[in-house]
Amino acid sequence: MKITVPHMGNVYIAVKILFDGLGIDYVIPPLNNKEALYLGSKYSPDEICLPFKLMIGNYIAGIKNGADTILLVGSCGPCRFGEYPELQHKILEHLKYNVEFIVIDAVKSIGLRELFNRIRIVGSESRKTLPGKINSVIRAYNAMCILDDIESQAHFKAGYEKERGECKKILNFCKEEVLSCDNPDKALKLLKDYQDRIRNVAVDYSKKPVKVAIIGEIYSVIEPFTNLFIEDILMDMAVSTRRNLTPSWWLKDMLLKIIRLNSRELLKASDEFLPLCIGGHARECVGEAVLASREGFDGAIQIFPMGCMPEIVSKAILPTISREKKLPVLSLIVDEMTGEAGYMTRIEAFIDLLERRREHVFAWN
Amino acid sequence: MYSLGIDVGSVSTNLVLLDNNNNVVEKLYVRTRGKPMEAVQLVLSEIRKKYDSKQIYSAGTTGSGRMIASIQIGADIVKNEITAHAVAAIQTEKDVRTVLEIGGQDSKIIIIRDGVVTDFAMNTVCAAGTGSFLDRQAERLGIPIEEFGDHALKAAVPVRIAGRCAVFAESDMIHKQQLGYNTCDIIAGLCDALVRNYLSNVAKGKEILPKVIFQGGVAANSGIHRAFEKALNMPVIIPEHYDVMGALGAAILAREKVNRERAGTRFKGFSVSESSFKSKSFVCSGCSNQCEVVSVLENQQPVGYFGDRCGKYNQFTASATG
Repeated sequence: MKITVPHMGNVYIAVKILFDGLGIDYVIPPLNNKEALYLGSKYSPDEICLPFKLMIGNYIAGIKNGADTILLVGSCGPCRFGEYPELQHKILEHLKYNVEFIVIDAVKSIGLRELFNRIRIVGSESRKTLPGKINSVIRAYNAMCILDDIESQAHFKAGYEKERGECKKILNFCKEEVLSCDNPDKALKLLKDYQDRIRNVAVDYSKKPVKVAIIGEIYSVIEPFTNLFIEDILMDMAVSTRRNLTPSWWLKDMLLKIIRLNSRELLKASDEFLPLCIGGHARECVGEAVLASREGFDGAIQIFPMGCMPEIVSKAILPTISREKKLPVLSLIVDEMTGEAGYMTRIEAFIDLLERRREHVFAWN
Repeated sequence: MYSLGIDVGSVSTNLVLLDNNNNVVEKLYVRTRGKPMEAVQLVLSEIRKKYDSKQIYSAGTTGSGRMIASIQIGADIVKNEITAHAVAAIQTEKDVRTVLEIGGQDSKIIIIRDGVVTDFAMNTVCAAGTGSFLDRQAERLGIPIEEFGDHALKAAVPVRIAGRCAVFAESDMIHKQQLGYNTCDIIAGLCDALVRNYLSNVAKGKEILPKVIFQGGVAANSGIHRAFEKALNMPVIIPEHYDVMGALGAAILAREKVNRERAGTRFKGFSVSESSFKSKSFVCSGCSNQCEVVSVLENQQPVGYFGDRCGKYNQFTASATG
């Protein structure tokens, strides 16, 4: 069995650490690029959301590199993501690719026994002892948490750093170096070193950078290729950004959901505007906008793929939050047709808006 | 000392020269024709006949070709067209609260309160109702674009045209022509349809309050102007320099930036109009991002790069953004 996984931000690094530790054969497809988008759009239904298409592109690249099993997390959930595995499996079958799908789904949907069954299929490939396996999983989870921490610190400190571009440089070096390391213990050590480095970046807190919350659909905010590298663009503009939705947040959220203790603060914040779960992460999006205004952010940028049902609902709610909480919000919708020029223009104009608005507020006070 | 502003748009390239009090002393308007660098050189060579490079205090670029133009001329500031248009509008009408802007290929609405931009929107999926479309319809009807709007004003009963999509609007117009409707009535109907489309797409959910100003190349069209006044039920002001507002904004912002930084201008001088400029693009194979990098060559020497995500190339380009 040779496993491949679709991309979503930095998840592939944790996956690599996991499989290296378990001693399971795997293929990491090339990072999302035009090739993946081209293949994915060619074989996917036209109206399906962008993540679906990119994932198809990833699978095909993985299969071409020898993968015979696709591992993904699912949610027999209340948005189209719930249908992904079935539909994707069918598409690959039509293309005459003979692959297995292992979907790690929510307990609520498939039951605890089935979940363990599925995990066992993957686990049985590893020759490690049970404690060894558990150790590998914990190590991979830690790696994901550290990586998310490095990333969020880099994004936030980019507005305060003394030497422009340092955070971005550290972040890029970190990913590059960890990826070329095949020893999972060393990889974790490297991550910890980089965590220290990013923690010790020289910052000047007297700077008053524009602070923006990145909110919206989870895949498109996490996967830089879909949002045209918005966080990199904003780092270059010395804007501080914060994004709550990360792979490690998602894991925690999924686990805590079982005992209904997930993201309490976020969901509470959304109560005023969207008290019900309507699928996807619409409530989280609304909650984050409310929290961003409470915590003194200058604005929020919402990103979601064309046709995303839950986010269309939150997009319709955001203007009300914007008005009531005095928080400017920019909604960006992405798909394979997104024109980069118009996209950049909107981001730049939005940051100008936030800057000029603040100068104005300061002048009034 | 003058401040120079260049707006390289999809259809036209405009240049303005402002005096110390931000009054327009020169303005030029040429067609871009898909060759932005040649258009920039053309306007510079025109202005060079009357002014000396030493008289330029600051220079700014805007529009969709702003990056390439800034590398070409050595701009002090590179600004997106939304901010540039807003700044120019506020400068022209102090108490403006809504800016309607329709250019060659895009249309936008900018909401301003107390002299600060609070919201904006730009057309995303459809270019119906922008300059290029009107150009094409004028050509098809055999009416010079300059007279297009006046024909609309002569209409007695505007015909209802389906304006949701440019292609369908055109077929609907042809259909109405075949049925024998009067050309003026069709043109007036088209103007109404395009304004309807603008208000329900671009301006959807935005609070349009007076003063409303209408700028961009399409503001020259009196038919669209009247259709806006009718649909909004309030006066719509067209500023004197409606056709070069982007360039005007870029020039104002450039002056502000040079004033702030006190380091003098980066402007290379009018002599760049004689250099030979070329651009070439290549796909970088450094990583799996596969960025399409553009390099700009001045007299065979690379003077700037853009398009790479990692900064491998564009760190060599003096940055004027921000």
